[in-house]
Amino acid sequence: MTANSPSAAAHASAHKLFSLGRAAAIAGNTLRDLVRQKVFYFMLVFALVLIGMSLVLAALSFQGQLQMVMNMSLGAMSVFTMLLAVLASAMMLPKDIEDRTLYTILAKPVSRFEYLLGKLAGVALMLLIATLLMTVFFCIVLWFWQGREIASIRGSVQSELVDAEVAKVMAGTFTPTLFGGIGVIFLRAVVCSALTLMVSSFATSWLFTVIISLMLILIGHIVPIARSAWMDPIQAGVDVPWYLSLFLRLITVFAPDMQLFNIVDDIAVGTHVASGIFGQVTALGCGYITIYVLVAYLFFAWREL
Amino acid sequence: MSTPAISIQNLTKEFIPPSVMRRGAITAVRDLSLKVEAGHVYGLLGPNGSGKSTTMKVVLGLVTPTSGKTFIFGKNSRDVESREAVGFLPENPYFYKFLTGEETVHFYGKLCGIRGKMLRDRTRELLALVGLEDAANRRVGGYSKGMLQRIGLAQALVQDPRLLVLDEPTAGVDPAGSREICDLILQFKARGLTVLLCSHLLSQVQEICDRIGIMHRGGLVREGPLDHLITIENQTEMVLENASPELLAELRAKIAAGGARLAGEGKPQQNLERYFLDVTSEAKKSDQ
Repeated sequence: MTANSPSAAAHASAHKLFSLGRAAAIAGNTLRDLVRQKVFYFMLVFALVLIGMSLVLAALSFQGQLQMVMNMSLGAMSVFTMLLAVLASAMMLPKDIEDRTLYTILAKPVSRFEYLLGKLAGVALMLLIATLLMTVFFCIVLWFWQGREIASIRGSVQSELVDAEVAKVMAGTFTPTLFGGIGVIFLRAVVCSALTLMVSSFATSWLFTVIISLMLILIGHIVPIARSAWMDPIQAGVDVPWYLSLFLRLITVFAPDMQLFNIVDDIAVGTHVASGIFGQVTALGCGYITIYVLVAYLFFAWREL
Repeated sequence: MSTPAISIQNLTKEFIPPSVMRRGAITAVRDLSLKVEAGHVYGLLGPNGSGKSTTMKVVLGLVTPTSGKTFIFGKNSRDVESREAVGFLPENPYFYKFLTGEETVHFYGKLCGIRGKMLRDRTRELLALVGLEDAANRRVGGYSKGMLQRIGLAQALVQDPRLLVLDEPTAGVDPAGSREICDLILQFKARGLTVLLCSHLLSQVQEICDRIGIMHRGGLVREGPLDHLITIENQTEMVLENASPELLAELRAKIAAGGARLAGEGKPQQNLERYFLDVTSEAKKSDQ
């Protein structure tokens, strides 16, 4: 029975300040909770969007349809993963506080950092599964359109040029750059999730969290402009009063530079992106995630529950 | 002398409403000092808003004290390590409703570093202890209030803690469920577990606790062993069975002659809870 159970002695080893096992338990639980909330039904909407888009394109007939499919699919994937990241992350903390589930978790030997990290890892896992599912569906659609493009080449191009044209289409469809771009989409979604988690660490409702996070993500698209106007207003050709300068600084510091991830747009139109650029984007994305988690922890560590 | 299970030293907790500066602060707990010795069942009583729950939260490290310190078995409550020895059941708990009862206990077990066969055995043992074996594979979202309290008790016990902190463990539970929870606490007491209990059900507190503290407006107004606090020292109670009217008359005369005063006399009544449980269990038997 309780007092005589061998478990007490077995796990009464020295307490670790940080335990990957505890963070992993929270991550696994978060993932299971999200899966059972039928979050992947979202994927059905994505599939319907791709099918609908394909049907519309099939009805029209023009050159470069394959490129169009790639462009629109990556765009849809970006929007869906970002929305999924913000909505899933915004609910976690306020709901656990409201239901007092957080009390029972933090009354165990779990640090607030482990809790936050576990929650983020759970959402990141869910986003990874969602991105993989979307990628599979995207590849099927792309494969179908590649076939159509090849058939159209065989029907219209002179026979001596067919092989070269077909080889060009084949080499330009399922490229490493394309899959690198999908990786960037996933990374951007995790950055959005970390940002939302940071907002929810001081917010009191999930609605506030969603609104502020989406606003920061939108504002993030003008970070490079804000940065140049703040740092070098003369070159940017603007006269910046002090209050606007302060605002631009705040944007530059707190909003993620979403333009950074826009290499996906270049990939979608078939531009080759060097692996060094992927490395830089990954490093900066990971930097954003680290900063947001640390700031979230600073807020959450002092939060009264 | 052994280390107390809980030691609260000059604890003060002020909450500052977000829109008001410090002078608008609300003092929830004021200079509270208290010790709960290991192996005791301690009842923390008081009206709503007296500071009981805030005190519990500070002890569990969920809230930071404005001043003062709290310790669990000698470890500062602010250290996560202090919670190795604690199981906590909050008032009206909700758990992840998409998890089953078994998965819930598993989850909390993993948080305490228990894994594998040990965790499976422990989960089975605890679900049996709280009477939820049959509902182990049902989702917690479909549990009744009493079942939620019981699964809450199971998760609180998962790492075999030395201290249990229970905030209104029988709130909203029917009399039979409430009796079962009381019996479980009495079992823990018999095994030497320390329990800090917060409850408005004074009859249960009286039955279970060794020692109580009564809080009012953030301070402790009475504290001590329950028997000492509620015993009326200058009165004696005798319950007679099959006493004849002649014997009673004789006793009354002797009492008057001895210089004592007969303060009260009457037929004792059985406890309403006991009566209710007897009636409902009889009804259950006849249904079967």
